[in-house]
Amino acid sequence: MAKSQWKVAAVFLLPYLLVFLVFRFGPTIAGLFIGVLDWNIVGEASFAGLDNFRKLFVDPYFTVSLKNTLLFLLFTLPPLVVFSLLIAVLLNQRLRLRNAVRTVSIIPYVLIPAVVGIIWNWLYENNFGIINYYLKAIGLGPVEWLTSEKWALISIAIVTVWSYLGYNMILYLAGLQDIPGDLYEAARIDGATGVQAFLHITLPLLKPITSMIVTLTLINTIQIFDQIFVMTNGGPGTATLTLVQYLYGVAFQNYDLGYGSVLGLATVLILIVFVRIQSRLFRLDD
Amino acid sequence: MNVKKTVAYIVMALIAVIFLFPLLWSLVSSLKPEAKIMSYPPKWIDRFTLINYETVLDKYPYLGWMGNSIIITVLSTIVVLVLAAPAAYAFGRLQFRGKKVIFSAIVSMLLVPIQAYIVPLFLLVSELGIYNTFAALILVAGANVTSVFILTSFFRGIPKELEEAARIDGCSDYRIFGQIMLPLIKPALSTVTILTFIANWNNFLWPMVAIRDNALKPLTVGIAQFLGGANSTAQFQYGTSLAAACMAIIPSVIVFLLLQRYFVEGITNSGIKG
Repeated sequence: MAKSQWKVAAVFLLPYLLVFLVFRFGPTIAGLFIGVLDWNIVGEASFAGLDNFRKLFVDPYFTVSLKNTLLFLLFTLPPLVVFSLLIAVLLNQRLRLRNAVRTVSIIPYVLIPAVVGIIWNWLYENNFGIINYYLKAIGLGPVEWLTSEKWALISIAIVTVWSYLGYNMILYLAGLQDIPGDLYEAARIDGATGVQAFLHITLPLLKPITSMIVTLTLINTIQIFDQIFVMTNGGPGTATLTLVQYLYGVAFQNYDLGYGSVLGLATVLILIVFVRIQSRLFRLDD
Repeated sequence: MNVKKTVAYIVMALIAVIFLFPLLWSLVSSLKPEAKIMSYPPKWIDRFTLINYETVLDKYPYLGWMGNSIIITVLSTIVVLVLAAPAAYAFGRLQFRGKKVIFSAIVSMLLVPIQAYIVPLFLLVSELGIYNTFAALILVAGANVTSVFILTSFFRGIPKELEEAARIDGCSDYRIFGQIMLPLIKPALSTVTILTFIANWNNFLWPMVAIRDNALKPLTVGIAQFLGGANSTAQFQYGTSLAAACMAIIPSVIVFLLLQRYFVEGITNSGIKG
């Protein structure tokens, strides 16, 4: 190892580190400490020991929000991985207009959450919405999309898949383009069918990207907030109350800062567990 | 073979429809007067009007929000690049004690949602006297983790020989950074630029908490006032909210189309090498 270059490193690092420590790291650590306080923003903070942590295990709203978050993950993760891969495979073929379709598919990703919310609120409208209109035309529905406990979470999951699908598809597309064409050529000569080539060449070689997509999706879905906040705000009832949604209510509507911080911590821990499971499952060797 | 191609085109058309349909229907609806919007059955072709757009522009500081968004996003992106690129260079290319620990401390923050530290952050910003200013948004944006993460992996990937040759020629670290390394990681810089730009343009929760004055709000927060559905208010109208939404799509899409090439290259590069 070369000699330490800490003086130069300090010059390069300090500006960023300063901002990072003050505006990210510091507040995060402070958030942990607030967890042991009984602190309502208007009153004095007092030491609460582990009360806020204990509360977690008896709080029915926490259980509900955890359940909703896991359900939401279940609704969004599989389609976000599988459909994006299938679309990428399709748009990797030599087809006319494929570039236009690639572009179109990623537009939802760049839209402001409130814009997406306004658009889908209108599509989902119970009485005048166009989705229910078309459903009725084929003899189905009407579905109470955002206003029934049964459908609200699924409705938001659909919007989330719509938003992120194109982004994941682009990642897969890049992975596909990195696979050397000779591999498929060789497989074809050996008599492999398209499906076999897909299963034995494409899928294994895309493993690192799949792993990354799963991680990104875990982060985005377990921390889902904006889209729910602007569309249903956790309701109806507690149907779309996810972890971060609940945290926001506790900290900013009930002003229970201590418990809010504990919920934040719980969210991070759950996320870490899932990311760990993910990396175990994919066990990348590099 | 031809059957296969036909099926492929049909599926491709379906995909395009799924992504475009919500946008097109919103655009069409936004061009109708309120009474017509709620008419049933829905009509794709009708007598169109710009009344909803006029209402939005007359009654709300809409263009002001858009201007705020542009200023905040551009400045935030510049600050992120100026802070993150040198830091990533230090992590990727320099040897110093504590590097691993500091780097993991930074990267671990990727898993912490802003809600977990937004309360202390809010108190801090109030204490510093920058509550309700753009500075509160830009400085918090500057503490960006993703960009350091992406750029570091790119700096790491540059072959040692280049740097050694430069050192033998007597280049200082600052020149190596500025004249050799930075040009080499241009693709990564464009990635970070775009990802930061989009993240800040779409940023919602922190601006909502940190900005009080309606005139200082960025578009993301301002436009949330138009939401219907479960958050609906008494004077809620679909026409105006859809017009507000459609106008917000335009800058997002223009920026995206301009930077599209880098965007695709960028996210793919960051993904594979990251």
